[in-house]
Amino acid sequence: MIDIKNLRASVDDKEILKGLNLKIGKGEVHAIMGPNGSGKSTLSYVLSGKEGYNVEGEIKFNKKNLLELNAEERAREGIFLAFQYPIEIPGVFTNNFLRTSLNSVRKANGKAELNAIDFLKIVKEKAKELNIGEEMLSRPLNVGFSGGEKKRNEILQMSLLEPSFVVMDETDSGLDIDALKIVSNGVNSLRDPERSFLIITHYQRLLNYIKPDFVHVLSDGKIVKTGDWKLALDLEDEGYGQFIN
Amino acid sequence: MENYNEIKINFEKFINTFKTDDNDLEFRKKSFANFISKGFPVSRDENWKYSPLVQDLKKFSHLNNQKTGINALPNELKENFDHYSIIFVDGVLILTDINDTGLVIKKNNSFLKSVKKAGENPILNLNNAFADQGYLIEVNSNTILTRPIVIYNYFSKNFLSNFCSSKNFILLNEKSNVVVYEKTIYDSSIEYLITSNTEIFLAKGSKLKKYDLNCNNKHSTIFNFVKANLDENSELEYFTFSENINSCRDESIINLNGKNCFANVNAIQLLRNNCNHEIKLQINHNEENTKSSQFVKSALYDSANAIFQGKIFVDSKAQKTDGYQLSRALLLSDNVKFFSKPELEIYADDVKCSHGSSSGSVDEESIFYLRSRGISKEDAKMMMINGFLGEVIEKITEDKFKNIFFNKLDHNSNHD
Ligand SMILES: Nc1ncnc2c1ncn2[C@@H]1O[C@H](COP(=O)(O)OP(=O)(O)OP(=O)(O)O)[C@@H](O)[C@H]1O
Ligand SMILES: [Mg+2]
Repeated sequence: MIDIKNLRASVDDKEILKGLNLKIGKGEVHAIMGPNGSGKSTLSYVLSGKEGYNVEGEIKFNKKNLLELNAEERAREGIFLAFQYPIEIPGVFTNNFLRTSLNSVRKANGKAELNAIDFLKIVKEKAKELNIGEEMLSRPLNVGFSGGEKKRNEILQMSLLEPSFVVMDETDSGLDIDALKIVSNGVNSLRDPERSFLIITHYQRLLNYIKPDFVHVLSDGKIVKTGDWKLALDLEDEGYGQFIN
Repeated sequence: MENYNEIKINFEKFINTFKTDDNDLEFRKKSFANFISKGFPVSRDENWKYSPLVQDLKKFSHLNNQKTGINALPNELKENFDHYSIIFVDGVLILTDINDTGLVIKKNNSFLKSVKKAGENPILNLNNAFADQGYLIEVNSNTILTRPIVIYNYFSKNFLSNFCSSKNFILLNEKSNVVVYEKTIYDSSIEYLITSNTEIFLAKGSKLKKYDLNCNNKHSTIFNFVKANLDENSELEYFTFSENINSCRDESIINLNGKNCFANVNAIQLLRNNCNHEIKLQINHNEENTKSSQFVKSALYDSANAIFQGKIFVDSKAQKTDGYQLSRALLLSDNVKFFSKPELEIYADDVKCSHGSSSGSVDEESIFYLRSRGISKEDAKMMMINGFLGEVIEKITEDKFKNIFFNKLDHNSNHD
């Protein structure tokens, strides 16, 4: 599905990703853990096409050269990033935004755009599964949402857009125990042999709900260790000390 | 120094033929003399420093206010909801008097009715000297009008003069309620000067909602002046939407004279090309427990200019004043200019006043967020701009008009 080779990313003169290699197959769930500032969010941004980085190396996504696509093109190809810090956008209503987003992706994939009524039916159903109140949908995007509400809104977008590759950046941070279950259920229900996940987290707890096939440790811009889900347990006990020079 | 010889001749000719009483004539002469003593405003004058009119008024070395090319308002310009209409075509008021339950609308024939002293504002003096058109709206006590009043200001292709002035009155008696929607349509492509002067009186417990739509003037220079006096418990909701307006000053003075009255003033400036629009607003808190709010947003493209000067004045007896002002501008090109001059002048000690002003470009993080959801860069930007301006439209308390103005914004999306 996705094949990252010798990925380097820098901002101005600061190199953040320093030759990262990662290969994720169809239907696989990979977790990335790593100390603060090691480059996890940067990786998620570089994958989703944020501008402002000087990027070298190669990212192949279903045989396509991802680095040649801009952010919206990547989204339309099926890449989705659940943001660590979802952005508040005053004046842009959640409903409107969700419909514009879904229709942009549908249109690019040759599907008919949804009218307001059909769209509302779908979104209400999905919102309900994620315990998102309808009233939230008529508010400006993320404005005044609690931390947990913002994260659930990310998962709602994911389940609407049905991407084939999902990057989740600390979606579990700031969630209470019930919300964590709801979000994990949301993710698990989207697990599919055709869909892959890259889950960035600091906590092994999330991985109890969403069991990864592989766990990687990112330190100082590189993947320094890869293991199965038990690696997360070891990290919980021992911390990252062993990986930091 | 300009001698204004031609304009003097124009004025002589005008008052020699204009039928009115001696008082009015006297007032006009005085106003004109005051105008001549100062001439057109210059940028040295602090009140006019940033005004586009300072440059543009120079084009008017003579003023011809003859009534020309009078047409009817084209049907397609009429609103299709139920309303009372007041129609100006080429500066001329076309009106059959309305005398409905609780509502009187007629031609304003006594221009002197309220303005008695000729003041400092040179263009207002000019207006007071020449104004020969205008309406008078009076709503009786306890009348809640469900139908809005729509004022059409239409300049047709046949308009051949270069000057028109109107003077209007809106009077709401106690506990009355009305919505007034005013829109101006510019089809004429000659150069002309429009001045309008509207006085608003809100008696105890009355409520006026006034919504103005002003779009796409071509070569006109515009001075709109509004003065509102609010008595106890009255409320003014005033919204102006100025789109692609060049060379215009919208000036308002709002006097909060009675306890618990509230002025809620909101404005949008959406300007492209070399448009140049100025808002000058002064809110005077003259009595205790009065409240005002100013919320202005500007989206500037190309080489547009926008000016916002908002002042909150609080008299020494106006304790417990609540005054709020916020102006924000989106600068969408390197060549735009936005001048903001917030002023507070406070003589009472127990007041709550705040003001803020900011300008910047569209937030890149937000654009990325939208793009990461498959929305194109152009659409993302448009969503941000419309969302930014839409926050002002959200303040409109009449759904029908909220929709009209949101539709105007959507129209903006299809613009490029
Ligand atoms: N735009 C930028 N300009 C300068 N430095 C940056 C920029 N973006 C990230 N960095 C730096 O790069 C490093 C990696 O940041 P990143 O946000 O990717 O870390 P992270 O692994 O996600 O950390 P956390 O666990 O705290 O979320 C940090 O030192 C950060 O300060
Ligand atoms: Mg991070």
